[in-house]
Amino acid sequence: MAKQIFIDPNEVRKPETITFPSIPVNQYQKTVKDEKKNFTKEEFLNIYRDMAYIREFETMLNLIKTTNEYCGVQYNHPGPAHLGIGQEAAYVGAAYELTLDDFTFGSHRSHGEIIAKGLRSIQILDDAKLMEIMETFFGGRTLSVVKDSGKTVKEIAINFLLYGMMCETFARKNGFNQGLGGSMHAFFTPFGIFPNNAIVGGSGSIAPGAALFKLSNKKPGIVVCNIGDGSIACGPVWEGLMISAMDQVRTLWGENGGGMPIIFNINDNFYGMGGQTRGETMGYDMVARIAAGVMPSAMHAERVDGFNPLAVIDAYRRKIPLAKSEGPVLLDLVTYRFSGHSPSDSSTYRTKEEIEAWEAQDSIIAFGKQIVDAKIATQEELDAIWVTIKDNMLRNMKLSIDETVSPRIDIYGAESDYIGNLMFSNQKVRSFDETRKPDVLLPREECPRVQLLSKRARYGFEADGKPVSKNRVYQLRDGIAEPIINKFYEDPTLVAFGEDVRDWGGAFAVYRGMTEAIPYHRLFNTPIAEAGIVGAAIGYAMSGGRVVAELMYCDFLGRAGDEIFNQLCKWQSMSAGMLKMPVVLRMSVGSKYGAQHSQDWSALMTHIPGLKVVFPATPYDAKGLMQSALNGTDPVIFLESQRIYDVAELFHAEGVPEAEYEIPFGEPDVKRAGKDVTILSIGATLYRVTKAADILQEKYGVSAEIIDARSLVPFNYEPVIESIKKTGRIVVTGDACERNSFMRNLASNIAELAFDYLDAPPVVVGAKNWITPAHELEDAFFPQPEWIVDAIHERILPLSGHVCKHNFTELEQIRENKRGI
Amino acid sequence: MATPVIMPRQGQSVESCIITEWKKKVGDKVSVGDVLFSYETDKSTFEEQAKVDGTLLAVFYNADDDVPVLLNVAVIGNPGESFAEFAPEGAAAAAPAVAEAKAATVAEAAPALQATAARAEGISPRAKNTAEKLGVDPTQASPSGPHGRVIERDVLALAKESRFGGETVVQSEAAAPAATKTSEAPSTVNAVEYDEVKLPNLRRMIAKTMHDSLADMAQLTHNTSFDATKMNAFRESLKTAPESMSLPKITINDIILFAVSRVLTRHESLNAHMVGDKMRYFKHVNLGIAVDTPRGLLVPTLFAAETKSLAQISSESKALAKSAIDGSINPDLLQGGTFTISNLGLYGIESFTPVINPPQVALLGVCSIMERIRTVNGQITAYPAMGLSLTYDHRAVDGAPASRFLKDLVTALEHIDLLLIG
Repeated sequence: MAKQIFIDPNEVRKPETITFPSIPVNQYQKTVKDEKKNFTKEEFLNIYRDMAYIREFETMLNLIKTTNEYCGVQYNHPGPAHLGIGQEAAYVGAAYELTLDDFTFGSHRSHGEIIAKGLRSIQILDDAKLMEIMETFFGGRTLSVVKDSGKTVKEIAINFLLYGMMCETFARKNGFNQGLGGSMHAFFTPFGIFPNNAIVGGSGSIAPGAALFKLSNKKPGIVVCNIGDGSIACGPVWEGLMISAMDQVRTLWGENGGGMPIIFNINDNFYGMGGQTRGETMGYDMVARIAAGVMPSAMHAERVDGFNPLAVIDAYRRKIPLAKSEGPVLLDLVTYRFSGHSPSDSSTYRTKEEIEAWEAQDSIIAFGKQIVDAKIATQEELDAIWVTIKDNMLRNMKLSIDETVSPRIDIYGAESDYIGNLMFSNQKVRSFDETRKPDVLLPREECPRVQLLSKRARYGFEADGKPVSKNRVYQLRDGIAEPIINKFYEDPTLVAFGEDVRDWGGAFAVYRGMTEAIPYHRLFNTPIAEAGIVGAAIGYAMSGGRVVAELMYCDFLGRAGDEIFNQLCKWQSMSAGMLKMPVVLRMSVGSKYGAQHSQDWSALMTHIPGLKVVFPATPYDAKGLMQSALNGTDPVIFLESQRIYDVAELFHAEGVPEAEYEIPFGEPDVKRAGKDVTILSIGATLYRVTKAADILQEKYGVSAEIIDARSLVPFNYEPVIESIKKTGRIVVTGDACERNSFMRNLASNIAELAFDYLDAPPVVVGAKNWITPAHELEDAFFPQPEWIVDAIHERILPLSGHVCKHNFTELEQIRENKRGI
Repeated sequence: MATPVIMPRQGQSVESCIITEWKKKVGDKVSVGDVLFSYETDKSTFEEQAKVDGTLLAVFYNADDDVPVLLNVAVIGNPGESFAEFAPEGAAAAAPAVAEAKAATVAEAAPALQATAARAEGISPRAKNTAEKLGVDPTQASPSGPHGRVIERDVLALAKESRFGGETVVQSEAAAPAATKTSEAPSTVNAVEYDEVKLPNLRRMIAKTMHDSLADMAQLTHNTSFDATKMNAFRESLKTAPESMSLPKITINDIILFAVSRVLTRHESLNAHMVGDKMRYFKHVNLGIAVDTPRGLLVPTLFAAETKSLAQISSESKALAKSAIDGSINPDLLQGGTFTISNLGLYGIESFTPVINPPQVALLGVCSIMERIRTVNGQITAYPAMGLSLTYDHRAVDGAPASRFLKDLVTALEHIDLLLIG
């Protein structure tokens, strides 16, 4: 939605034909001899050396996996090893032109990418900077093992790279991620190497976020998204392509926009595990073809001979500037892995002849031959390179498997809490870039939303006790918006995006009145691409910025399943704390719109370690919790109920303060004191609970204490236990389907923690385990005040004269569970 | 003008009374002197009579409700007159504001599935803890929770009203609405073929204690008798004792108590409690004395009986029985027994199987004296034989030690004159 862009019926109804730019395939056919003028001898030899390092590293792992030894040294590595033997020219060629400003993201088969980018970074860094990186990395711990391994800083750095990678692969604490990432997730951001990803195409939705970060914050460099031909059918990859291709960066962002600085680098080795992408499982014939469908530029796509490092280098030399000015770019590198998908792969899906045909064209042998033929160097010189490589490999391998030199985290002993301590970074960072002034279009006080808020009553009742009119009162949506506006004016890296967030103001008007004040590159609409939205938020945050992303409905989180369950939650701990993930992921929980728009899926997200999950139900809590989320460094799922976006502050008698305040995560809040029964509510049920409490008091003389959970992860049980010490009874309620809900988790923990104080088992009153029916039928689905009274009567405290309308008996519970409902 | 009926105050210390039964229901005509309802305190049962003629317009509390004294419990007036203004506030919220003539709501008060009620009987952890704090036995509470679960309010109620609860002042929990009832008076049956009487609390407690006793223990009874010739002679001699010695009237029961108190000191396995997997052997003989009272069986305790003279035992045991019968007994004296004596000799009982008062492990039943014959030097002679029935818990005591106790007791009683010297 952009008013600036006029959709002219006369224009769009004209007869036309779509033409596609032609996509070059293997056009570069030069050899060393042809490029003699463009590379020095050292450069040619380094290309050769880097390919050889990758080959030897992978060979070492392959031997360990298949024979339990390398060069006579025994070792058992039970973990994964997805090797790229055969793909070395593609790896080295793709890394050759990259600088430290350029970020690479990889796949499960990325050892080669890391070694190539690492070696290239070592080559181009000056010694002082290189030494500083090594000395500051985990306090110099990794460096200390290899600091005498060479005469020059670069030689030491090569050993540092090999040793760090091996330790990471073998789950050692000196690894680049202290062994918490492992073979498939290793990375080293000081060299611009960002996470490799064990989920096929995982980087496809994340890397575009890093490109957005560079574009929006005017950072130098490009992003290379390394994925394989097997990932092209994955939805998130397509969504990442779509987000990268958004027209608005060229049409609407003005001087803040331009090219999306990203190259999708697709290593086409023709197999997705065993599925043959060309001829069997896909229909694109050549991967580069897909770029033609993405945008008119066809992403400046090319298919390049990835068996020739010079062809890949040539492509990058031409594409890097294009990515900056007219990105995204797609490169399709023809390559082939001689090794199996993994050591357990017996290559049943391909013939020996096919493998041998490719081995006959082995890029390392071929490139070496070209060097010798072009008289750049002799075979002896090449052989000497191999000797050094094998020496380094064996020495570092021995060091990395030495339990004294390279211990693992003492997780069974003194460091039993080590991983637990890494699950959240729990830091306070007000701004991720204090050197810049935030880009805004209007001063804060002229922001229309700020002006609107200044006129609103911040407490729900007038002095005489009458409720303030909805139109004049500060609502829950304002509590969400206010800290975001303030953060826009404080943290220049903050961006907010999602579907319809800009002119529309978000489907539920949280962003209304911000469009005028916040420029496009900080507040923008995305395509309808939930995986793309969350993936971009992850890449953006990894790169060093803060994001508020929005999924319009909680129901849509299934569309971003991998991004939320495998990516957003994991990278802080899988990086051993090197990465921060300051992402607030807003999600509204609906009602009225039936089965696919009315679900509270908090259970799914609270189940996943590494996510903070909050669900405020009042404007005061919304503002305080959003402020905490925005000042923090952790991923926060911010659940909002559409039922209560317009509620005023009814509990906090001082109203919602104008000044900033934080509500710490994890602290449930007693909304109404009582003494006979505790009702613990999650989200919007708070208001139905107050009605239930009124019924209990007025009809039965039972005084209910109402506790609003506010946060689900983390959660402090102590206030709830204190309440139960007093009341002895508890009902847990919320709008989620009862089975496996977070309510069940609360009830289970409460039963364990407060057993001696309980007069009856904790009772859960959740929504039915059905589809959510139409609005007119919803009262039979979502918890109602009467249900809570019924449940108390039936299971906790029989109420004299009470007639149940809803069946909360054990028999019904058993019956429903037997039926799976 | 309608007239309220208040819950009378039965004595200064009484704060509330429990309505045991409504004799009239809403809509009934009542005349002065008609019994409206019966109610009980922790000590006694009373009936409240109508003080005015009219129609019972409203009832604010149901049977089993614990009603603070001086609150309105009902209204009598002419049909159509307003009565709502008499409805008590606050505490009254616990009961339906007005019980309609139709008693239908009562059944609904119970959890919907009565069918499952019999299944799970239990005591909530909180109720257990509260009971421990208040020093009451939660198994004695009348359950009002779901499925017959004893919940905290039941323990609080028990502590308030039961003989075990003592004078513990329990904070009144407004939370506790009245326990649900299963029925009111069977209004449809006019030709009464039986009287259905709800058990008073004391009866319920006795029922539970007795049943638990038999259910939980391995009880068996040994019967024997002793020659009461010397005991009778001793009693005869007391009748002629000089008045100046001011001896109390010594009964056979007193002599039995005395003898048991002495003999038990040599048989600690019977002067004991069995609690879970532990035995408690007592240093003193605290004799429980079964007393038949108008409210049912009570067992006051004669503490440290082995330290007391026959005269002391006699006077103290009589005082205990009297206060148990008139309901004035201090609840502290209704617990702490280590061995119990139940005397049915008065009723001509020849032998019986008394039921142990848990957690004690034995109880002596005292039977009547009968003429028996025996041969002495070839001559058939008659002598007075008094029966003794010892029930013991075979889990705690074996047959031989129980029999040895009985044998020693018989010897002691047959030589009561000598025992008195010791």
